[in-house]
Amino acid sequence: MLNVLLGLLPAFIAAVWYFRTRAVVLTVVCVAACCLTEWLCNIIAGKANSLGDFSAAITGVILAFSVPPALPVWAAIIGSVFAIAIGKMVFGGLGANIFNPAMAGRAFLTASFGVMMTTWTVPATIDKNMPQISVANTSAITQATPLAWSKEAIKSKDAQGSAKVDASTANNMLRDLFFGQRGGCLGETSSLALIIGGIYLLLTGVISFHIPLAVLSSAVIVSSIGYFTDSTAYASPFFHLMSGGMLLGAFFIATDPVTSPLTKKGMWIFGIGVGGLTMLIRMVGEYPEGMMFSILLMNSVTPLIDRLCKITPAGGMPNV
Amino acid sequence: MTFKGGVHPPDYKQLTEDEAIKSVPVPKQLAVMLSQHIGAICRPAVNKKDRVTAGELIGSADAFVSASVHSPVNGTVRDIALCSHPVLGRAEAIIIESGEDNQPMQPAADKFDASFNPDRFVSEEIFNAVRNAGIVGMGGAGFPTSVKIKINPDAPIRTVIINGCECEPFITCDYRIMLEWTNQILAGALLVGKALDCNNIYIGIEDNKPKAADAFRRAIKNIPAAAGVEVAIVKTKYPQGGERQLIKSILNREVPAGGIPPMIGVLVTNVATAAAIAQAVVLAGPLTHRPVTVSGSGIKQPGNFYAPVGMAAGELIELAGGLTKKAARVVLGGPMMGFAIADLSTPITKTSGAIVTLTEEEIGRAKVSGKETPCIRCGRCIAVCPSNINPTKIAHAVKRNMLDVAEQYYMSVCIECGGCSYVCPANIELAGFIKTGKILVARQKRLMPK
Repeated sequence: MLNVLLGLLPAFIAAVWYFRTRAVVLTVVCVAACCLTEWLCNIIAGKANSLGDFSAAITGVILAFSVPPALPVWAAIIGSVFAIAIGKMVFGGLGANIFNPAMAGRAFLTASFGVMMTTWTVPATIDKNMPQISVANTSAITQATPLAWSKEAIKSKDAQGSAKVDASTANNMLRDLFFGQRGGCLGETSSLALIIGGIYLLLTGVISFHIPLAVLSSAVIVSSIGYFTDSTAYASPFFHLMSGGMLLGAFFIATDPVTSPLTKKGMWIFGIGVGGLTMLIRMVGEYPEGMMFSILLMNSVTPLIDRLCKITPAGGMPNV
Repeated sequence: MTFKGGVHPPDYKQLTEDEAIKSVPVPKQLAVMLSQHIGAICRPAVNKKDRVTAGELIGSADAFVSASVHSPVNGTVRDIALCSHPVLGRAEAIIIESGEDNQPMQPAADKFDASFNPDRFVSEEIFNAVRNAGIVGMGGAGFPTSVKIKINPDAPIRTVIINGCECEPFITCDYRIMLEWTNQILAGALLVGKALDCNNIYIGIEDNKPKAADAFRRAIKNIPAAAGVEVAIVKTKYPQGGERQLIKSILNREVPAGGIPPMIGVLVTNVATAAAIAQAVVLAGPLTHRPVTVSGSGIKQPGNFYAPVGMAAGELIELAGGLTKKAARVVLGGPMMGFAIADLSTPITKTSGAIVTLTEEEIGRAKVSGKETPCIRCGRCIAVCPSNINPTKIAHAVKRNMLDVAEQYYMSVCIECGGCSYVCPANIELAGFIKTGKILVARQKRLMPK
């Protein structure tokens, strides 16, 4: 489990670089709140302390990484308490939860504090006096995320003249998407940092390649269909790979072993579901981003996938 | 070529691999179990206070799937009583007090030379000799060998594999007999081939035992009748010595799940069993003694012994210098598949290849008794499972007493190698739960007494 935290370290460094003290404050608050909640839940349930497995700390870090940098501390605490208490401990603690706790906490925050969860901060590396490119959002302290631009392009698909937003607005952001200089959730902005962390997890054997590969390749396939149909309305596959929570989700959240299938075949189905649904929400749905919902949705069908994807024993199916 | 999955535990074989097999002084008392095999339990063939001679039948096998037992010594039947059994807990045994007229049993290896020819015997003769000698699979399974070598016209055996893998850590008794009893094992292999009218014989040896492989290559050259026997070197990996795994490695063929090797025309038997067959057929000697490795860091002078069946584990440990202060657990069999015993008077059986003592530290390292934490479904147990089943699903179904779910995940296919327990980072005794589940199902179906 410590390896997962190490894998998240590059993204944390990137978060500190782009969002300064907010990154430190949110991460520390979420980790502390998660750990405290788990400790209290164990006391209430009369169970042994389980902080030593670091799973609460990981939930805290991932929750902090998947909320907007400007989220008030009190909201972050509420999200953390929900993530651990309702997302994990009521099911019986580590290993028994159906949903990824951090995503459960984030879903609760999104449902409760919709505006806060979609108010984005301009990275500290951008000159404050620089005029913001803007169509829908002209606020000085907030910046639309690249995915919001992509959504605008899709919504104005049939519009003419100045009302039409071209998808190239989004496609032109690839460089910033790669390094992380863009609006977005705290830990999801820097593709480079997430890829380094993801490779670390793969090399140390913490995760297998199946789920990340399934998520990313299915996202590429679905986004390519849109892109090659109408490239003025739909952003490129590269854009979709690096924007929003795609990489954070593919490497760090969808790979949570507790809430993903056990068998390789199951992992493929799960990953394709996550990647495909995310792209469906991004391209057809109302929300600009769909990573959280698709992970939660696939979490809920994981027990079914496991039942369907039983592996064949050596020597073929026996007559049980 | 090898099988899927498997683990690489440290083998600790250096403790005893250079220790030649020693005969043991005749124990004062033996407890010969009436159940040392898979199949029907023997009926006592002697009464209390009867005089018995070495090799005399003391437990007769009436059922086809069973194996008779014989007295290893001259002596008197003191009792027929319940006695601690490594697998069954408690079971009936013939307690024999040995007389003054006994000599330590010597291995029969020097009676086999290059002139051996299996054509001196006919199939029926070999079957009868093996049946009368009470031979069982000595690699651990304890399946009556006579059943395996009976010709079945519906499923002819086309390949015989003699299993010299000995993939469990610590155990070296098979390695030693491969070096010391090479001719006898080859004679046994040829007799099995003769009994089944099969000329295709392999000797499977892991690649960490080159000396054993060389010994066989030399012996094959010397014995004209053994010219067709082939030494097959397989990868060192646990459980390479499992018959399904060995067949996959040598022949690249799969035994149907839920089936047995004869279904694909293959027979696998252990090297010690082959030696016992040779002894039974050529010298008419019943199976009363077997090589046993006494090893582990909890033992003062680890070694290999030729011990009578029924000897108490504790006596063999004394012969090996006794336990050290660090010894924390005594296991009958290897550390992966053996059974921890609580009573040192537990007698060895025909299937006991080793007595292994482990220290607290080793138990921790082997993750047998570490603190269990929740399963996080990491899937390592699936990755190493040579049967390609889902150990964690089965174990957790058994834990919740959902035996039907456990069976849906093919619990019956498990070979109980223990690889899943070995790799589990949460220290869950997966194989233990699966074994329990199999016993519970057998009881439900009344295949096994309560």
